[in-house]
Amino acid sequence: MAGFKIRKVFADDLGANNPVFAQVLGICSTLAVTNVLKNTVVMCVGLIFVTALSNMTVSLLRQYMPSRIRMMVETLIIASYVIIVDIVLKAFLPDVSRQLGPYVGLIITNCIIMGRAEAFALSNPPGLSFLDGIASGIGYSYVLIAIAIVREIMGSGSIWGYPLLGDWWTNWSIMVMAPGAFFMLAIFIWIVKGIRDKEEGESS
Amino acid sequence: MKKGSVVKKRIFPVVFMLLITLVFISITTVIYTFTKDTIALNERLRLKRAVLYAAGVQLPDDPVEIEKAFDNRVTEVKDDTGKVRYFEVRESDSTVIESYVVVRIGAGLWGEITAGVGFDRDLESFRGLEVIDQVETPGLGGRIGETWFKEQFRGKRPPLATVPEGDATTENQFEAITGASYSTSAIQDIMNSSQEYARMEILGSQ
Repeated sequence: MAGFKIRKVFADDLGANNPVFAQVLGICSTLAVTNVLKNTVVMCVGLIFVTALSNMTVSLLRQYMPSRIRMMVETLIIASYVIIVDIVLKAFLPDVSRQLGPYVGLIITNCIIMGRAEAFALSNPPGLSFLDGIASGIGYSYVLIAIAIVREIMGSGSIWGYPLLGDWWTNWSIMVMAPGAFFMLAIFIWIVKGIRDKEEGESS
Repeated sequence: MKKGSVVKKRIFPVVFMLLITLVFISITTVIYTFTKDTIALNERLRLKRAVLYAAGVQLPDDPVEIEKAFDNRVTEVKDDTGKVRYFEVRESDSTVIESYVVVRIGAGLWGEITAGVGFDRDLESFRGLEVIDQVETPGLGGRIGETWFKEQFRGKRPPLATVPEGDATTENQFEAITGASYSTSAIQDIMNSSQEYARMEILGSQ
């Protein structure tokens, strides 16, 4: 039974109920950080950490937390974990911390974290909530990483900072600016929806 | 309202919020306390690395070697309040000043840009540029921190003018970043204003 629930959580968060292309959450950071792959990966790791632990903490407290102050408590929990990520980056990955700048702090405002706390952690046990946080984070991450790979290659001619395309390639400046992310996200959603609609059409 | 109801609806939420705040503040405080020395050390190391890079010194990879190179070769010239005005850079164990480095702050697109600007000892040409702090758009204005951009300033002379990428031919030109004219212009202002600042600070004190 537990195995079935875990599989369902992962299947939902990575596919049908994906936070980015199904629920269209976390778009601010999708636009902001996906022009460079390295920043995107660090942001994704930070988000997985914060979502998993905040989900678990909210779930642990759910029976004692007065419902009228629950959002304040959730925000406090999320902010605390984000501060921990920020401090750890500053101490152990100072270069990455400097590159990400204000984006780390903005994890607090990522709708996915609060969304999962409200929609899942408040009504599920801590272990499953923790796994839901990880699954949501991975669901968010693979979309962002796919977008970042295309944007960095086309916008900077490089991948993970290493030159890939050489001098013959003219960088598309629009790809490193926010509109490039809008185009890429729309194309991504278009492809995924197209595949899913086709699958549903075949199965019905 | 019944007494039990007041406690449950009014007092308990406040006490709960206070307690949970106390718990999380304690956790973050403990983590901060354990890492603050490392963070301060990172900041200090970054400044030392920036000064050496701006002065055109070959940077060792090992942080300990960077500390050693800085201590052997760099002198901080401070004002009466202890604030660093500029850095003098020498060859190891030499008394002859090879170059000077000043730290300048300019206005970028999203916030301040802090840069270390290195000069030859005659203050006529640049030794180098290191971007110490910036919050420009990653992948766009943020490219002011990339090596190809910073390296092009070595040996250039102010006043500098911008040209498109790949077109710099004279010692008064540098290559702008395509699509990041505001950030490029901020660096241009920092570089061009730093000579006068350096002359005032360094020659004025001699």
